[in-house]
Amino acid sequence: MTDTDPTLSVRDIQKSFGPLHVLKGVSLDVARGEVVTLIGSSGSGKSTFLRCMNLLEIPQSGTLKAGARQFTFGNGERTPRDAELALLRRDVGMVFQHFNLFPHMSALENIAEGPVQVKGTPKAEAHELARDLLAKVGLAEKADTFPARLSGGQKQRVAIARALAMKPDVMLFDEVTSALDPELVGEVLNVIRALAADGMTMILVTHEMAFAADVSHRVGFMSEGVMAEIGSADEVIRHPKHPRLISFLERFRQASGG
Amino acid sequence: MYLWDFTALKPYWGLIWQGLGVTMLYTVITVLAGVVIGLVVGIGRTSGPRWLSAPLRAYIEVFRCTPLLVQLVWVYYALPVLVGVDMSAATACFLTLSLYAGSFYAEIFRGGIEAIDRGQWEAGRAIGMRQRRIFRRIVLPQAIQVMIPSFINQTILQLKNTSLVSVVAVGDLLYQGTVITAASYRPLEVYTVIAVIYFAVLFPVTLVADRVEQRMGAHR
Repeated sequence: MTDTDPTLSVRDIQKSFGPLHVLKGVSLDVARGEVVTLIGSSGSGKSTFLRCMNLLEIPQSGTLKAGARQFTFGNGERTPRDAELALLRRDVGMVFQHFNLFPHMSALENIAEGPVQVKGTPKAEAHELARDLLAKVGLAEKADTFPARLSGGQKQRVAIARALAMKPDVMLFDEVTSALDPELVGEVLNVIRALAADGMTMILVTHEMAFAADVSHRVGFMSEGVMAEIGSADEVIRHPKHPRLISFLERFRQASGG
Repeated sequence: MYLWDFTALKPYWGLIWQGLGVTMLYTVITVLAGVVIGLVVGIGRTSGPRWLSAPLRAYIEVFRCTPLLVQLVWVYYALPVLVGVDMSAATACFLTLSLYAGSFYAEIFRGGIEAIDRGQWEAGRAIGMRQRRIFRRIVLPQAIQVMIPSFINQTILQLKNTSLVSVVAVGDLLYQGTVITAASYRPLEVYTVIAVIYFAVLFPVTLVADRVEQRMGAHR
């Protein structure tokens, strides 16, 4: 992990939905191999910020740099074209809270879809890749199973494999365990933990505080559309300084009975 | 007690088959044309430019909210006067039935497309797919599944609706029935046979439809 070579760099991102000013100039540089977790109460803008990183949301102003690709927003810059967005998203993968698997495709087809359709990988090769990835997330035997027959945790692991199949430089995880039954959270977190150990660059939005503290190089606390505090997990979670972060962690501990 | 005598229809079977042929032809052609219109209008309404939405909506509502019989008569008798172009009964029927089917299909297609969760589009985007490909690979296959029951229903209606062309003297099954009745004085036999033929054509279609629906939903 080096600070000289950010894999992903977002600067001064502003985003409004109608009158709602959700992001008020948020910046983040993520180094290769780094794991950054964003925490904060709902409505703090953390998910929107994450969705700006693969331009599922187009910011009103700011810049985004991912590898060699650069986007500038606002100041009369034109909105990026569909094709440009598609190229960016090959390199910046995302996993969603509600999995969003393609229900008309088997687990294997879900994973192979990106490589075959987007990269033009030959089908046989893509299927082999998909089998490898299924094995990696511990679902080798579910290749031909359709999403409706998978548990939430299994769906989410397939979704992670689907994102990995594009061999992205960065992976974004948007509250990927929030829709899961508590007993299924662990299997998904284990997959993410293994990815971190492999050196995958990742940005996570999560409410799993212990996991965040454990797996992240840095933790950022977002509040009211700004990055209120960012630093090592130890600094942010164990020695918080910002008053809103202190009360957020306090509320969190009470809620989880800790 | 009425004495049925189906043998009286013997000389007219040729006419009946001919009428069935015309009915089938109108059904197939206007369903195909209607599907094309419906796809263009339905997709236009879901993902076309905003200014297009109102005129498309107007088209759909005009055809959905007036009786087909009135449309047929209007297009055949009134439109030529207004536009100054003479139209054969066959053309008027083709035009009206296609536009009528198109308006219903458009709503079925739009409904099907809009029923697909926004997350499916986002998942497609997130793996680098472009809009058109997401539509073709992800959204449309799922939308078709949603649409199939109402699509088949509407298509069955369309076959029955073609019977209205007899009003402007196009020689479909029902029209031939009227002709044969006038010649044979056997209305009960004639209309019974015609009803049985409509049923015999459509009932198997509904059976096939059920099978298709089951098979397409197999992985749900």
